[in-house]
Amino acid sequence: MKDLLIIIPAYNEEKSIERVVKNIITNFPEYDYVVVNDGSRDKTAKICKKNGFNYIDLPVNLGLAGAFQTGLKYAYRQGYEYALQYDGDGQHKIEYVDKLLAEIKNGSDIVIGSRFVDKKKPFSLRMLGSMVISFSIWLTTGKKIKDPTSGMRMFNRALLKEFAANLNYGPEPDTISYLLKQGVKVKEVQVEMDERMEGESYLNFSKSMSYMLRMVISILFIQSFRKRDKRYIKTERKV
Amino acid sequence: MSMTLRVVLIMASLLTMLFMLKRIRNAKVQIEDVIFWIIFSVLLIGLSVFPELGDYFAGMLGIYSTVNFVFLFIIFLLLLREFTMTIKVSQMENKIKELTQEIAIKNNIEYQEKESEGDN
Repeated sequence: MKDLLIIIPAYNEEKSIERVVKNIITNFPEYDYVVVNDGSRDKTAKICKKNGFNYIDLPVNLGLAGAFQTGLKYAYRQGYEYALQYDGDGQHKIEYVDKLLAEIKNGSDIVIGSRFVDKKKPFSLRMLGSMVISFSIWLTTGKKIKDPTSGMRMFNRALLKEFAANLNYGPEPDTISYLLKQGVKVKEVQVEMDERMEGESYLNFSKSMSYMLRMVISILFIQSFRKRDKRYIKTERKV
Repeated sequence: MSMTLRVVLIMASLLTMLFMLKRIRNAKVQIEDVIFWIIFSVLLIGLSVFPELGDYFAGMLGIYSTVNFVFLFIIFLLLLREFTMTIKVSQMENKIKELTQEIAIKNNIEYQEKESEGDN
């Protein structure tokens, strides 16, 4: 049994999924993975079946949060120690997973593969959004997350269990902000990412705007009213 | 707008918000679904605290009294909501139908496989 499961939510990723998964299998066979096909309309499921990939086929489309949570439930039931959120479009680089794994074994609860730990944020519309979210998180928690929208995040067993079992634990910056405020240890590790090569992102322009609005309202206002299930609050830390 | 109406609007908005936040607190509703009600409440509170805003828009649209503009505004927002809800409910019904069919067909296939094993 390996201790890390790479969760790859895939929605209409027929062009890239084969390359992404084969890259993991051939170059990093020490990691386990699962593709969660989120009710894709294209050949994503067929490709997974043909290649004998380990995949979960959702009969209807649940959206990123639902698809990723499926992967976490699977990770929890199969007894994995760590789970990694990983993109099916090839923008994440598998060679950085080691760095994230080392950091989480060092005692962090969540490790984010961040583009901007050592490097400066370039200035673009997308990055403006990222800055606004970073600023909102800083306002409410006093902590700096330099790349809150990075989709490459690793969770330890306690956190993956919490994410798997509860409502309003989407893999989004507002959840990170909420957990930061709850005292969960979040670390960022410098990684590089490729621009999206194929497929369409979950976000287009108008969706990006409503996403931003939702995130800002959620982080600045709603998250502070949430009550955390007592079972997940750590009373003492293991040494 | 009369003072009473303004106070009532503010109270109702605050109660709406309170109700939604309580649901969030107890993890009974998804965050994306309460965003509308938060924005809705904030807008109504804004119109009640600054009635000049309502006066301005009412004048611009050629509506005689500000109250009528406020009613129209609320109706408009609720219609928008109704529209998105209709689409959402329709999609949900379709998803449930697909899920039910998927489960039933899988059960049938499993059952038939077991039957044919029993024959051997």
